[in-house]
Amino acid sequence: MKIPLIGVSQSIERIRELIKHVANAGLNVVISGESGVGKEVVAQNLYLNSSRRGKPFVKVNCAALPEGLLESELFGYERGAFTGAERKKRGKFELAHEGVLFLDEIGDMSLPLQAKLLHVLQSGEFAPLGSEKEIKTDTWVIAATNQELEQHIKNGKFREDLYYRLNIIKIYIPPLRNRPEDIPSLLDYYIESYNSQFDTNQLAKPSNRIMEKLMAYHWPGNVRELQNLLRRMMVVGDWEEIVEELSITANPQRSSVPVKPTIESSSIVADILKLQGENSTGSASFSLKKIKKKTLDRVEKEVISYILDQTGWNRSKAAKILKISYKTLLYKITDLNIIHPMNSHDKAD
Amino acid sequence: MGKSNKLLIIDDNEEVLTSLYEYLSQKKYQVISASNGLDGLKLLDAEKGEFDLIITDLVMPNISGVGVISIVKKKYPTIPVIAITGWGEHPEALATEANADIVLEKPFELSELDKLIAGLLSTPKSKI
Repeated sequence: MKIPLIGVSQSIERIRELIKHVANAGLNVVISGESGVGKEVVAQNLYLNSSRRGKPFVKVNCAALPEGLLESELFGYERGAFTGAERKKRGKFELAHEGVLFLDEIGDMSLPLQAKLLHVLQSGEFAPLGSEKEIKTDTWVIAATNQELEQHIKNGKFREDLYYRLNIIKIYIPPLRNRPEDIPSLLDYYIESYNSQFDTNQLAKPSNRIMEKLMAYHWPGNVRELQNLLRRMMVVGDWEEIVEELSITANPQRSSVPVKPTIESSSIVADILKLQGENSTGSASFSLKKIKKKTLDRVEKEVISYILDQTGWNRSKAAKILKISYKTLLYKITDLNIIHPMNSHDKAD
Repeated sequence: MGKSNKLLIIDDNEEVLTSLYEYLSQKKYQVISASNGLDGLKLLDAEKGEFDLIITDLVMPNISGVGVISIVKKKYPTIPVIAITGWGEHPEALATEANADIVLEKPFELSELDKLIAGLLSTPKSKI
């Protein structure tokens, strides 16, 4: 279960430092960030670095259960508390005693339940359903959310007093697209981990060229998406194909690039098909994948040429406009054979 | 006397931090500042807790003032802490629970803060 916090970015370094400083204090924590960034990994690292290590780590997803069920899940119930309660059930607060209770998706908790949670956090006591006796609990509550709790407070969906009581320590994990420098170490870690789990279909490390593409991708599903991609890679076995599926151009931030007015998009299909030879559909080299690649390459070439033209071949300016790294731009100039108009026999350097 | 008292001030609002820094430096205190709880605690550890007093804001990124106070009171129980807040009663109540020596609500007069600091510094450490 031990998953280290992987990454070399400043934000991950900072989170590591934060964990070291607060893990032993047992103060309530809220971990926030988009889906798939690794909020549970941070929670586990807090737990493993604390003196509660070895005690229970109990996870509850507040969004997965309807309100009544979540309540009995958290606090348990006595025998006969309601119809069907034939046996006493211990709640997660009781099970997590002396350990950690990880409340995932805290933003989805109902207001009545928030009031009950606040009571436990204030008093360190709770009563199971159908019981009059309060039980003492020493539980370290770590909550996680992918929502803006501050917004929920404004809309009356989250209690402000509970917010402040939980937010003693705030840990924000930025999305993967904002820390592409973490991608190589994440890939290394998961490739090694999957390779040691499975004997067959050993994963190969991506080439530098592929890595650049992976680092330029916007990863809407964050680290979880990267894990899924590696699992697919185990089946497909071809980095080229995997990377092509990512459709790097799908990044919404990059879609508003002005296109050279001379591009006649309607003729692209005809042109690409022509490139494949007269009876291309019958030839062995014909495939949708290849056409897709050729089309993308061609569109990319046109757009990059246009921007280079606009910037007078100032490559760092062009890279900024295209929102790609300088290195990626140089690579693309060579790969797509984009030639400087003033010096057509000059090699792109 | 000779040696001046060393204060640590933690606030994520740069304006507040600068004005506190300037005012307290003029008052002949040795002032060290941090803009969030984590950096404050790092400074504290780097100096092995050798501060005479800490002033901290409550609502801050990463480690809140309440977090700072709880950790300081556990690790360096003799250092007095003044919590300053402009955020209503919730964090204020939490700061008191976390054993802040004084909770001061914004806005306040700098001279008032100066008096409070002098008061805490003249209290024998064993009483805190």
